[in-house]
Amino acid sequence: MTVLNGRRVLLVEDESLVAMLAEDMLMDLGCEVVLAMRLDKALALARTETFDAAVLDVNLGEARSYPIADVLFERSLPFLFATGYGTQGLERAYQGVPVLQKPYQQGPMEHLLHRLLICGELAQKGSEPCMRPGCTCQASLRSPSGKGTGFQADSPA
Amino acid sequence: MPQSRQPLQSSALAAASLATLRRGDQLFETERRLNAVLNNASVSIFLMDDRQHCVYMNRAAEQLTGFTLAEVLARDCPLHDIVHHTYPDGRPFPLAECAIDRAFPQNNHERGEEVFVHADGHFYPVGFTASPIRDDSANIIGTIIEVRDISEEKAAAERQRLLLNELNHRVKNTLATVQSIAAQTFRGLAEVGARTVFDARMAALSTAHNVLVADNWESASLRSVVTRALAPHLLAEVDVDRFRMDGPDARLHPKVAVTLSMALHELMTNAAKYGALSVPEGRVHVTWSLEPMADDRQRLDLLWEEQGGPEVAAPARKGFGSRLIERQLPLEFDGRAEIEYRVAGVVCRLEVPLTALGWMGQDVITGQTAP
Repeated sequence: MTVLNGRRVLLVEDESLVAMLAEDMLMDLGCEVVLAMRLDKALALARTETFDAAVLDVNLGEARSYPIADVLFERSLPFLFATGYGTQGLERAYQGVPVLQKPYQQGPMEHLLHRLLICGELAQKGSEPCMRPGCTCQASLRSPSGKGTGFQADSPA
Repeated sequence: MPQSRQPLQSSALAAASLATLRRGDQLFETERRLNAVLNNASVSIFLMDDRQHCVYMNRAAEQLTGFTLAEVLARDCPLHDIVHHTYPDGRPFPLAECAIDRAFPQNNHERGEEVFVHADGHFYPVGFTASPIRDDSANIIGTIIEVRDISEEKAAAERQRLLLNELNHRVKNTLATVQSIAAQTFRGLAEVGARTVFDARMAALSTAHNVLVADNWESASLRSVVTRALAPHLLAEVDVDRFRMDGPDARLHPKVAVTLSMALHELMTNAAKYGALSVPEGRVHVTWSLEPMADDRQRLDLLWEEQGGPEVAAPARKGFGSRLIERQLPLEFDGRAEIEYRVAGVVCRLEVPLTALGWMGQDVITGQTAP
């Protein structure tokens, strides 16, 4: 039994074969998986249903998954991005979100979801990656420092 | 009778000469404007007479060719012999073989690409548009030729070709690498049957990518996807005694092509193991049509029907194939899929809305919009 057991996870992944793999990994971790493969379906789910966490593939073919991320930020639902490009491949406003490197691997997926669910530190749009010395959580600090990136958060209040 | 006392000019004459003067002024003004236009244009413009001699070229043309108009006029020969006299391989290029001059174009805007020779001897690729100039009786009396240096376009196209080759190479290589890793990893651990199934799936995936490579990753031909999936291996033709294929061709989005290829591969594998293809007299009909949808898109309706095989029983456990076809494919494309295990043979019905071609950022890459 881990903290992941019985957790409801939204998985957004647009490639059939890859989605099957990620879904199996999450199920092996004890999660209940809700799979969406298209932006519109994922957005509808993110708006209306409740999840403990979400795993978003960044590149959905004709679209990016940022609109889903915005809904999840708004609802304060923890999530991570899955991408082959790493943090540098993300748009700046989303670089505070933890990144799961593709191809999917069960170990890192478990580690990041675990952090996401127990760390309690939610990434915010425009926040920077966690820079605590020695920390491997890859989660973000709550308040954007605004230093270096030149990015201003939408509502600093 | 010089200096007669005749009045200087009749009033009528005076008026006429004034008009002439004014016309002269207007002509001068018109010429000044035309020169301003021509000499500031970035496209090279050549005016040719009926002997293919150049009688005018603008400043851009002088810069492009390395010759001044005065030099060209002084040569008193067809322009071809000045800027187009040699093939890039060094052979002489006779005027008679020149597409630009020979055509003495009857149609406006005859277009093409050629390679010119600069005054300093280097070759450069150009795109041209040639249009006839007609006199009042519509006889062709010359040609106007617009020429653009297309070196940069050629270089960009070449870079893109090299990148595509590299992409093709890497994708195929990665698939082969994955296959090898699997073989090394599972040697002695997995049963031979599982490895064979794995290799066949890798081959199906690789074949699906071959179809994409044929069209620069932009799309794949539906008929090719079906044909390649039904052929027993890459070098073989589809066995026409066993398969009947019927349906129109269409361009498929790469994602549709890959998932459809894999779905057909799973149906093939199942048919070969348990279904119509497991006995010599079994047949498979693959028929499809393209149906219009409400939103301008088309929907691919594909029917897989097995006949003449052993009696079919629904499988006790749903495997990779049925999961891919019945669950993933509809989710991925917002379509429908259903496999019926009829006693007389498996029937699979797919409805796949065809996604518009293109991918995120394609317009920027291909230069359709400014980045």
